[in-house]
Amino acid sequence: MDRSDKTMTTLGDMPSPRRRWTRAALVGLGLVLAGCAKDAPQDYFQPKGPNAEKIDNLQRPVFYIAGIVGVIVLGAVGYIVFKFKDRGQDIPEQSHGNPKLEIALTILPAIILAGIAVPTVITVFELDKKDDTECIINVTGQQWWWEYDYATGSCGGVEIAEPIVTSGELVIPTDTPVLLRITSRDVIHSYWIPALNGKRDAVPGRLHTLRMQADEAGLYTGQCTEFCGLSHARMRQAAVALEPADFQTWVDNQLEPYAAPEADSLAAEGEGTFIANCSKCHQVNGIANSDGSPVLSDPDLYVVSGVAPNLTNLLTRTAIAGWTFDILTEECRTTLWETRGAGFGELYLQGVTPECFDEVALREWLRNPTGMKPMFADATNLESTGGKYRGMPNLNLTEDQIDQLIAFLIERK
Amino acid sequence: MFTTGSKLFVGATALSTVGAIVFAASVGGPTGILGTIGLITVAIAFAFLAGINFFTRDGNVSAMEPGAEVNSAAAQPPVGRSMWPMVTAVGIGGIAVGAVSKPVVFKVSVIIVLAAAVEWMIQGWSERASSDRAYNDGLRKRLLHPLEFPILASVIAAVFIYSFSRIMLTIDKDAGRWVFIIIGAIITAVGFVFAAKRGMSKGTAGGIIAVGALALVGVGVASAVSGQRPIEEHPHINTAVCLGTASAEEIEEVDAKASQTVAAKSNVLANVYLAEDEHLFALNGGIGNVEYQEITVPRSTDVHVLFHNDSPEPRRLTVHLGTFPAADGTAGSELADCTTAVEAGGEAFLTFRLDKSQAASSTPYRLTVPGVEGQEIKLLVP
Ligand code: HEC
Ligand SMILES: [Cu+2]
Repeated sequence: MDRSDKTMTTLGDMPSPRRRWTRAALVGLGLVLAGCAKDAPQDYFQPKGPNAEKIDNLQRPVFYIAGIVGVIVLGAVGYIVFKFKDRGQDIPEQSHGNPKLEIALTILPAIILAGIAVPTVITVFELDKKDDTECIINVTGQQWWWEYDYATGSCGGVEIAEPIVTSGELVIPTDTPVLLRITSRDVIHSYWIPALNGKRDAVPGRLHTLRMQADEAGLYTGQCTEFCGLSHARMRQAAVALEPADFQTWVDNQLEPYAAPEADSLAAEGEGTFIANCSKCHQVNGIANSDGSPVLSDPDLYVVSGVAPNLTNLLTRTAIAGWTFDILTEECRTTLWETRGAGFGELYLQGVTPECFDEVALREWLRNPTGMKPMFADATNLESTGGKYRGMPNLNLTEDQIDQLIAFLIERK
Repeated sequence: MFTTGSKLFVGATALSTVGAIVFAASVGGPTGILGTIGLITVAIAFAFLAGINFFTRDGNVSAMEPGAEVNSAAAQPPVGRSMWPMVTAVGIGGIAVGAVSKPVVFKVSVIIVLAAAVEWMIQGWSERASSDRAYNDGLRKRLLHPLEFPILASVIAAVFIYSFSRIMLTIDKDAGRWVFIIIGAIITAVGFVFAAKRGMSKGTAGGIIAVGALALVGVGVASAVSGQRPIEEHPHINTAVCLGTASAEEIEEVDAKASQTVAAKSNVLANVYLAEDEHLFALNGGIGNVEYQEITVPRSTDVHVLFHNDSPEPRRLTVHLGTFPAADGTAGSELADCTTAVEAGGEAFLTFRLDKSQAASSTPYRLTVPGVEGQEIKLLVP
């Protein structure tokens, strides 16, 4: 077949050059606009605390410089491609080497890189500062949720008399330099609240520190950023910043002694169901058997990571199971997420009120946890872990038992 | 009619088809399905390649060209001898022997057969790649040397290292030092001789090296057969030592044999100090100047504390790990772990893990220094 023939036939099937350009431009525009998404709470271009600001002050200029260099390079490439396109002209004279140009093109990037390196190193050291810490919180990752232990002592002036254990939501006082001590109980995870600081890996046997400080009361979301198995995508977290007075209220509430459900209520039946089915993994502080002896969990015997979320104050949190499934109605959640500053503390401290409680997720979680979140929790297939679960198994509860448990859990606040 | 290339692919197609049938018939479950699908895919791929090869006559000859059956590269007679049929046969024999004796023989033989298959195929192909013999020779080398040399070199290095390690494990610890020095000296000396005597023939040099290598491997094999030297068991830190209930001699021996170096200083949950006046306190990583008398420890997590002994006496840090009912229902006794006795001014690392909440233990979790009364740091495990 003759060459011109071929071009003729193929050209016929292709969109005209102009249409092609329009399409490419549309796709490009779409990609650019995706960057402007409004509902993007994990946008790291919006720092909400001094540590994130330090990072932002570094990454913005670097981003712009890299952007300008990128545009220049791509522009030059584009220009050269079009300008020197093969139009059948003669091959130009070939030359080799241009020392002046080569030296300039070596020194210029070196200067730019040095210019970036100095502030980078300074920022790295500033982000590692520890001596101004006013509060220590242990953060431990496991498949597939985060646990927080509040060390006793002062936390930004608020005295914590007994350790507090919670999960998913890290509650911190505003304007207080908090130091997280991050580790893991199984595989490597990574803690990240983009609005407040960068990422920090959680590595078993190691203890990594990360500064956290929020300027304004509010809820800042994040997620595990190191692939950690089946439900990595469902391992999320949030930092909740409360003004110091509100933080005091939160601490007092967390440490309030256990209030047993009213006798003969559905919740009281739920307490029994909980002790029978759940307490081997989950701790509810202060809960006791009918003979008065404390009910103590033994998650180390049943779960690979050796822990399960502490449910003492479940309903003070707004999402469950790796902070993935909301127990707040969508409306209440939107309000909570969008409130910043003065009104936030009050809203958050109400906990999950009856109007805001959306039991769908919690109910489904009790009915079929592995259906909601992929977990290694098939009781018939645990040889590789010596009979222990990763995650929560399906306990085959009846609908009655689930009703009782919900009634019991709803009071855990 | 069939070209060399298409013969190979027709054979491979037949083999993978048979494989697929055997696999489908013998292996059940998802593995069986996956494997069968995989093998059928392979068979189809080979059939496709066979077709292409057949149609293009191995890509060497235009099908229209007269006399191609005689002149084409594919029609050239084989060159030289090949060791690969023999190696393959040895490998297959090894597989058979390995299947009934040791798995390692089986595995090594499978590797040999696979390697031989690759070598054989490439050699067979390169010998007929063109009708130019010299070019064909070079082709094989160009393809296989980058693979053969590094693999062979690592195997040889591994054999040497393994032999040497067996020798070092067998001979006495003190003798080992001398063996190391002497062998090193000999190698250096021989190197000097080689360098000085430029004119030495390849044969002589090769011979000397071969004798040395043989000696090393021979002694290595002998050492491996005779087994390791007995390695002395030192008494270990144990609960009785940590709680101070062991005999004075045992405690002394444990401490005498222990290493005093601290390997790691990072990642500590707390720095624990025994001050000059024997006051015990902890500094939490982070808050520099607040002395803590209690530390919150996340449960089921390995944690590390670094003990600094600033008192004038050698002291150890003991962690009390609680008391739990024994399996037979009796009360059980207190568990503990500790550092070795740390010289004045020294440091030691202590790693521990508490799986149960404090409420489950009948004795408190805490850090103490045996011999120092009234000082402790509480460990809070929520
Ligand atoms: C074998 C141990 C085990 C048992 C028994 C168990 N759970 Fe869980 N549960 C877990 C684990 C592990 C998680 C965390 C799963 C995740 O998020 O990946 C969890 C998560 C939860 C959560 C979410 C908590 C949070 O803070 O995110 C709730 C609520 C819960 N379980 C309730 C129950 C109830 C009610 C029962 C008894 C009917 C029960 N569980 C029995 C292991 C267990
Ligand atoms: Cu994770």
